[in-house]
Amino acid sequence: MAEKALVVIDGFALAVDRRYQAETHMWVLELGAGRVRIGMDVLGIETSGTLAQLSFEPAGTELIADRPFGQLEAAKFVGPLLSPVTGTVVTLNHAVIKNAGLIERDPYGEGWLIEAALAEGSAGLEALIFDPAELRAWFAAKIAGYRLRGVIAE
Amino acid sequence: MADSLRVIDFGVSSPLRSQTLWHAVAYGVSAGAPVTLSFVRPATPYVCLGYHRDIDEVDTEYCRASEFPVFRRMVGGGPVYLDSNQLFFQICVRVESLPAGRQRAMRTLLEPAVAAFRALGVPAELDASGEICVEGKKICGHGAGQIEDAVIVCGNLIERFDHEQATRVLAVAEATQAVETLALMRRFVGSTPVDPDAFRATMTASYKDALSLDGHHEESALSGLERDALAELDERFTSIAWLEGPRPTSAGKAAFRVRQVKVRAGIWTFAAECDGALVTAGVVDGVLEGVHLSDRGLNGSREKAEHALAGLPLSAAARVLSGFGDPGRRLAALFADLELARL
Repeated sequence: MAEKALVVIDGFALAVDRRYQAETHMWVLELGAGRVRIGMDVLGIETSGTLAQLSFEPAGTELIADRPFGQLEAAKFVGPLLSPVTGTVVTLNHAVIKNAGLIERDPYGEGWLIEAALAEGSAGLEALIFDPAELRAWFAAKIAGYRLRGVIAE
Repeated sequence: MADSLRVIDFGVSSPLRSQTLWHAVAYGVSAGAPVTLSFVRPATPYVCLGYHRDIDEVDTEYCRASEFPVFRRMVGGGPVYLDSNQLFFQICVRVESLPAGRQRAMRTLLEPAVAAFRALGVPAELDASGEICVEGKKICGHGAGQIEDAVIVCGNLIERFDHEQATRVLAVAEATQAVETLALMRRFVGSTPVDPDAFRATMTASYKDALSLDGHHEESALSGLERDALAELDERFTSIAWLEGPRPTSAGKAAFRVRQVKVRAGIWTFAAECDGALVTAGVVDGVLEGVHLSDRGLNGSREKAEHALAGLPLSAAARVLSGFGDPGRRLAALFADLELARL
């Protein structure tokens, strides 16, 4: 895979070679032939607390944008992982199922969550943030907002 | 006008219903029911497993022999023993009413419980790891989850805690681990024999105040939607597929075997075994206690190695053991894969 294009904004790394769902902090990396890899950015991780365990719907499950494709547990709180795209689950990352800490160690690389095939004619990717300038502005605004509300440390 | 608080006291319920009733409430709140505070006391003992946890963490044979049912809940945390000396509460709100960030949301929903304990004369604190404690002892177990568009946080008033049963229902790997687990349970889990009627009344007042709900509260029962959900949940929670859980089982893992037991945040016991090397120990805020080692080649240096590890940070154990030759290196390898803080 191509080297991740990482920038650091106010102390938090952001890979600028992929798309992001603005509210859920899920990223989508296009792999070609209608296939995508899905993961969670560092702000999603930071606001969750120490990731303990996670589970995914099995390969072959239909994905609907903004609906759960799995569950994430952090600090004894189990909450849904919401899909940023519509399509079908193709592959699960069994390494992160076994060790959720991998997501924290390498969120834009080995810590990916699932791979999916996009639904035919899916326009879902257009709703995600991709333009580098827009990405940087969105990420910086999120950091500032979380700091203001005490969700992440100064 | 501010929203009202719905209060439901389910009284004494069967073990199954002491779980499914409040899960049904979450579906109701997700569908538009008011913020709900509920209470329930299980009629008889049982064991309950967090959503992601491995059923192998529970001694199911012992539970079967003791007639303790085992259920899997939809919120987080580990396997726990519940009985009629624990009064459980659940606060359920819609997800959009909570601040961003799970830890912050959790604190928002636990702080009123802490305030209620304090109003009742219990000097409780919500510590940095999110545990409700008195002088370092956990006095209220909790877990949380999002169910559809509702977030529910559960906790308990522990009137009396049966440390022996709470330890015995867990599937520890070695007798030494069971001993260490019981010792740490006694040291770090405590009870608060508060009057339960006063607890319910004070909790209600505290949540109304903290969540800015209006001055009256509804004493209520389940809605039709919630009763329908309850019937489905009763069926789901008693199915084998649900009990097995959403994650692949640990069966088939190589020769390496680890059994971890969490007593409270930051307090653990573990047993790790591979190729005839075995270590059991307690971990208190990152420091090793009660270390027992076993390896065929250790011979006379076992006690010396155990002594060298006692009081050491967990992170230093592998380095120290590496100084005990091949057996030490085998034991050191057991520490390498431990990630105790995650469960």
